[in-house]
Amino acid sequence: MRVTVEQIDRTREEELIVRCYDPSAAWVSSVTEAASDHRTICGWQEDTMHRLRLTEIFYFEVVDDRSFLYTQAAVFEAKEKLYEFERLCAGSALFRCSKSMILNAEKIDYVRPSLSGRFEAVLSNGEKVVVSRKYVADLKRMLGV
Amino acid sequence: MLMKNITLWVRRYVTVYGIIMLCTFFMCLLFNPSSELPVVSFFGRIMVFTLIALLSLAVYYSKDELTVKAWWVRTVLHLLLLEAVLLPLAHSWGFWHGGTDSLVYAGFILLAKALWHLVDYSLNAKTAAQINERIRKNRLEKRN
Repeated sequence: MRVTVEQIDRTREEELIVRCYDPSAAWVSSVTEAASDHRTICGWQEDTMHRLRLTEIFYFEVVDDRSFLYTQAAVFEAKEKLYEFERLCAGSALFRCSKSMILNAEKIDYVRPSLSGRFEAVLSNGEKVVVSRKYVADLKRMLGV
Repeated sequence: MLMKNITLWVRRYVTVYGIIMLCTFFMCLLFNPSSELPVVSFFGRIMVFTLIALLSLAVYYSKDELTVKAWWVRTVLHLLLLEAVLLPLAHSWGFWHGGTDSLVYAGFILLAKALWHLVDYSLNAKTAAQINERIRKNRLEKRN
């Protein structure tokens, strides 16, 4: 495999493009994970700002036009809108799971169907979130199902 | 995306059509086993029934994500809507006559709706099993 590293000046945005035969291959997820580990977002708790790595985030949710970031055991308010956060986490393990939520696929312990035609994802911290059927295809693609 | 949606709705149409046909078969078998059906018009009417049943799914449309409670409320509303539209239509087409018949027919509509949700649930259970298997494999790969 050919590896190319190009140095760019600070005026341009850093970018990682992976050209591969199988997007679900283990090495591809390792590369994208390593890259997303460097991406951060600001979360606020009262007046204190915290810099959070994308890999720390369990999910991002919009409630009454306010955005929140959920980690293992803490909740932070975020300034970003849903579409801005979605753009920020492109290529990472975070995916849109419902109309108001972006979920980290790496934090899912297991999923189960619910009678209402949707799915319930149980996260590694025990929390349960809803995954709409519309977005399950994205999760399947991400996991390589 | 458009192709996916078309496939989804065709699959739903076929599923609902199958469920209605199954219910009709059992209803005829139980209450009118000697009946002779005018095949073309009968199948055509079942197709219209299916179309109405699918159109009535608009009850579930919402801009926001439905809560479990809201889903149950809409499910009851959907059932009432199906009964209110399909019962008179079936009567006008001569599918049932009299009080007992109407109760049985209403029961079959309820049964068809329950079957639809059951099929839906079992398909989702299959998808969930595939996802869980992949999560398990990914975890094993990472550990090694």
